[in-house]
Amino acid sequence: MTPPILDHVVGRRTLLTTGAASLALVLAGCSTTSTGTGASTAAGAATGTLSWASSYAPSSWDPVVNGSGAAFRITALAYASLTNTDEDGKAAPGLAESWTYNDAGTKVTFHLRPGLTFADGTALDSTAVKKYIERAQTQENSSLVGEGISVIESVETPSATDVRLNLSQPDFQLPLVLAQRVGQITNPSRSAAELNEKPDGAGPFTPVTIVAGSKATFVKNPDYWDADNIHIANVTVSFGADASSIVSGLQSGVYNFSDLTPSQVKAAKAANLDVVLQPGFNANNLSVNTTIAPFDKPEVLQALNYAIDREAIVKQIDFGYGTAATEPFPKGYIAYDPSSAARYAYDPTKARQLLADAGYADGLEVEFVVSADTPTNELIQAQLKKVGITAALKVDTNWATSFFAKKLALTTYGTTGRDSPIQTLQAHFGPAGALNSAGTEPGSAFDEAVATALATPLDSDDYEKNIQAATAAGLATTGLIFTDSLPNILVKTKAVSDLPRIPAYITWTGVTITGR
Amino acid sequence: MYSRLRRLPSFWIASVLLVLVLLLGILGSALAPHDPLAGGSALLQAPSATHLLGTDYLGRDVLSRLLAGSRVSILGAFEVAAIALVVGTIPGLLSVYLGRVFEWLTLRIMDTLIALPFLVFAVALTALLGNGLTQAMLSVGILLSPMFYRVSRAAALTVSSSQYVEAAVLSGGSTGWVLRRHIGPKVLAPIGIAFANAAGVGLVIVASLTFLGIGVQPPAPTWGGMLASDLGYLAYQPYAPAYPIVLIMLTVWAFNLLADVLRDTSGEAGRILLKKRALAKARRRGRRLQPQLAGRVE
Repeated sequence: MTPPILDHVVGRRTLLTTGAASLALVLAGCSTTSTGTGASTAAGAATGTLSWASSYAPSSWDPVVNGSGAAFRITALAYASLTNTDEDGKAAPGLAESWTYNDAGTKVTFHLRPGLTFADGTALDSTAVKKYIERAQTQENSSLVGEGISVIESVETPSATDVRLNLSQPDFQLPLVLAQRVGQITNPSRSAAELNEKPDGAGPFTPVTIVAGSKATFVKNPDYWDADNIHIANVTVSFGADASSIVSGLQSGVYNFSDLTPSQVKAAKAANLDVVLQPGFNANNLSVNTTIAPFDKPEVLQALNYAIDREAIVKQIDFGYGTAATEPFPKGYIAYDPSSAARYAYDPTKARQLLADAGYADGLEVEFVVSADTPTNELIQAQLKKVGITAALKVDTNWATSFFAKKLALTTYGTTGRDSPIQTLQAHFGPAGALNSAGTEPGSAFDEAVATALATPLDSDDYEKNIQAATAAGLATTGLIFTDSLPNILVKTKAVSDLPRIPAYITWTGVTITGR
Repeated sequence: MYSRLRRLPSFWIASVLLVLVLLLGILGSALAPHDPLAGGSALLQAPSATHLLGTDYLGRDVLSRLLAGSRVSILGAFEVAAIALVVGTIPGLLSVYLGRVFEWLTLRIMDTLIALPFLVFAVALTALLGNGLTQAMLSVGILLSPMFYRVSRAAALTVSSSQYVEAAVLSGGSTGWVLRRHIGPKVLAPIGIAFANAAGVGLVIVASLTFLGIGVQPPAPTWGGMLASDLGYLAYQPYAPAYPIVLIMLTVWAFNLLADVLRDTSGEAGRILLKKRALAKARRRGRRLQPQLAGRVE
């Protein structure tokens, strides 16, 4: 189970051959001028400032508390994670350069790189990792409890660089689980309250100033384990910029990188900016709480399923950049179960019939409480109206509190996905899953399928089959109606070189910024 | 008063505009050629014969949405002005008559209200009382009331110290009677000006709040809300924000014009202005007539 160790030279060669055009040019320039000096000298120099306009801000700079998948891309500036994922979505080394499982899959040992430290000199050793995992499991406001780490029964530290996790059941997903979302290791000498305000990790960048909800600035961290491949000197992240001002912000040079809504792609292309469709695991859904009337009637839930016109959402809201989704991941992903895909085709007549069968022939009035007035919510409201469901759209500023307390009958949610497909399934369908809208036990069929999938080694021939079975079992019990999946639409100026195409990640390894 | 007003052309411009806007507010939904909430597959279309102002991001008819959205916007503006009028004028007049404790107290309350930023306060109040336009307008109306308080108090102060009012009080006139008989008519003009002004300010505030998504239940259209969503699709319809902007601007302009006309014609200054205008008009007419007369004589 030793993953391939990423060699810098190999990394460069791969990038050159895969034709990451601008990066290749820069590196080619380096090698001609720096007459045969080692990779580290050419790569060690960092220049330029990344000015990132982000539509999402971390609610907390403590990765244990921050629950938003998109915001982990921001905290990843400051924190290095135990593992990473590569361009194929497979586990890759991070702070841990390798890992070993016992044959039964009940014990996994992560081997840390030697000599890792945090910015204040505190050692990033096995004890720091142990403290982090225990904090993620026990801290009262931890958002990671339901995120695939409940199988960890105890953490041992056989040596300063070895962390052994003893598991309650065979689970081969942990190298994926302990990547960016769950495995951003924090400095144990900081309290949870301190981390809330300012991040302290061993990531590619060190925070300089953090203004909550407004701005964060970073400088390159020379002690990052992969610092040789970080070529950016400074990072400024601005939060809360209006979506309609992003393109002009990039044009005028206020920003040089941002995420983008589909409606702005046309403007960005017209402005001669680089629009990047970064692969991801995003999936939007209509969350139906099947414990609240009238959704406790199976016919009503079925009617909702038939009432959603996914193609219209893809065309109208995603401007053609998305795809219709029926599962919590996009089509083509390893856990995507083709047999569950066509369970409910758009059929408004059938939806009306089902509502009539449930005793709502004259229509049905429900509350539709959402986090923001988005075109998607308005379109779904209009689609429900077509089958006779009058959904009163209400924007609640405290939406998140009610949603995670599972008090909302009908709402919408979008996930950015997880590195481990089973983690995604557990988050959506598991009893402790944050996105399980009803919060009910999904039944033993799902539990069994998940246990089987967890116990399947990732390189086993049965892996794909078992994981898709778990997807099917989860979908069979859920009140979640998946609607569409968008790639991560990013926009950058020409000064920023191509980003590694790692699904769902924004990684700065190897990226250069030319010009100012 | 009316006989003076109608002699100014700006009064007619303002009234025609306001009557039109008022009609929009009352009949808007009925005039809409399409269902303002019904979408279609033709998204972000340019103006055409079927959709005179084009369609929006869900394929809804923009003209119908503008028409249907006028009620909320105009009603909100009047709501703000009316609440401010009642909450401001009554204590403003009474502060002159109900003794020093009441006067001191209301002055301090009004000072406090002036210090509060009303958009922020309105946002906070809707978070507290629920996301409704009436809640938002209530808070904005209260915060706008110091304008009426000060205007009515200033007018009442000048009148109350005049000899005929003192004579009325000495002859045994009750406070209520004095207020109705002597003070009321004198403060009516400044309050009318303040009201027209407040309605204009109110419309801007309603538009701003709905722009921020406060006080409306989507997908109900409002002018401010349409402006906000149009900004997201500038690459497709760069001209779309102009529709709600023109309506908002014209309405606010009409309210301000009305306030100006009321101010220009009220009181002694108004009498002088109208007299000057009449004289100037007569002189112009005279000058135009003179060459003809001269011609005839020769």
